[in-house]
Amino acid sequence: MRRLFADRLVSATAVIVILMAVIFALLRVAG
Amino acid sequence: MRLRYAARGAVWVAIYLLFILAPLFALLAGSLPAARDFWTEFAAAIGYAGLAMMGLQFGLTARFRYVTEPWGEDVVYHFHRQISLVAVGLVMAHMLILSATRPALIAPLNFIQAPWSAWFAVLSITAIIVLVVMALWRVTLNIGYETWHLTHILLAVIAITAGILHMVGSGFYLADPGKRALWIGLTIFWICLLLYVRIVKPLFMLRRPYRVTEVRLERGDSSTLVMQPDGHPGFRFSPGQFGWLTVFGTPFRITGHPFSFSSSAAAADGRVEMTIRKLGDFTSTISTIPVGQRVYLDGPYGAFTIDRNPADMHVLVAGGVGITPMMSILRTLADRGDRRPVTLLYGNKDWDSITFREELDALTARLRLTVVHVLSDQPSGWTGERGFITAEVLKRHVPPPFADHEYFICGPGVMMDAVETALGKLGVPLSKYHSERYSFA
Repeated sequence: MRRLFADRLVSATAVIVILMAVIFALLRVAG
Repeated sequence: MRLRYAARGAVWVAIYLLFILAPLFALLAGSLPAARDFWTEFAAAIGYAGLAMMGLQFGLTARFRYVTEPWGEDVVYHFHRQISLVAVGLVMAHMLILSATRPALIAPLNFIQAPWSAWFAVLSITAIIVLVVMALWRVTLNIGYETWHLTHILLAVIAITAGILHMVGSGFYLADPGKRALWIGLTIFWICLLLYVRIVKPLFMLRRPYRVTEVRLERGDSSTLVMQPDGHPGFRFSPGQFGWLTVFGTPFRITGHPFSFSSSAAAADGRVEMTIRKLGDFTSTISTIPVGQRVYLDGPYGAFTIDRNPADMHVLVAGGVGITPMMSILRTLADRGDRRPVTLLYGNKDWDSITFREELDALTARLRLTVVHVLSDQPSGWTGERGFITAEVLKRHVPPPFADHEYFICGPGVMMDAVETALGKLGVPLSKYHSERYSFA
């Protein structure tokens, strides 16, 4: 159960980090 | 209690994300160089985030008990392995996107004339690739555990140090002295996490040694190490938890070995026991350890314990040497005078190799314990369960409603997968079963 939770946490972290990188880039491009 | 651990877990997840994202967005503070195109900025962002994630790996493996408690050490190591692939993916994507958007960076002529920061990027990426290959295929490549562990740490330090030097050398965001100081400070912090687990923690352990007071041979090619704290009161653990054992040498040795405690957690004198089966180089030496040998224990760790998961009835499912945390649970329940029903489903190869067979029989008199032996190789006249622990075996011996009990599973990976699947089919929610897997490499 805890490993499944960890797997989901890994996926969620990946999605959050990529989204934040997109926001970072958009903020920069938008000035 | 579960809610308290869940809340603590959520706080640590938030802190983890903060340590990745705050340094990234700090780059947007103050004066900024002129923005580049979207893909270049995106590639830069995932490069920084990937490096931060790799640095935080030192924190995940630093064995901070307070941090790992909500999930258990095995799950944190599982997260460490999985998230490392994400971090590596981000760093590789950083390189590939920049190569696509700025082909001049990888043109052979320019590559030779490339600045030193580009060479650090190459060094970092190379170290990462070697590190991942060695981690994923260590057994296939026939690399010894200790050699791999030492190389793993060295490669991680090289990858991160070269990574930060690449960033500093590239300038741009880190041309700002404040931002440069922040990222160099972060890198020093990550390395300090490594120094904590490799130097500070062993220094504490050095002052808290244990002595082997007995080595007991058990059925099933196993031996029990009985250890007494030497000059200190020892530690308290919960039944089902484990510790890292260092027998030969000092706690500064790169590799300790994780084993469950098999003794009662109710022992008042700090005595702890570990029961270890001969399965490899180190475990084969256990029975030869002399009485009086000084050993070091780092623990307790793990969330696999009945104390965190109270229930009206416990169902323990053990395969082979997976009985050790269950023995600690049963001995502790007996010492506490606990009268709640417990069912132990215990899979073994044959009747003679059942570790703790006689003691389990004796414990049925002190507990409301039902022991169900499942043998893959039965003696003549055997009327008990045959083969492996399946959903049918569970249904025959565990009273419904199945979802009302707490299940604890420990044994070979194949058995654990099968039992977890069987419990799922019986409608047992994920929160009701707990597995302990010792795969830290």
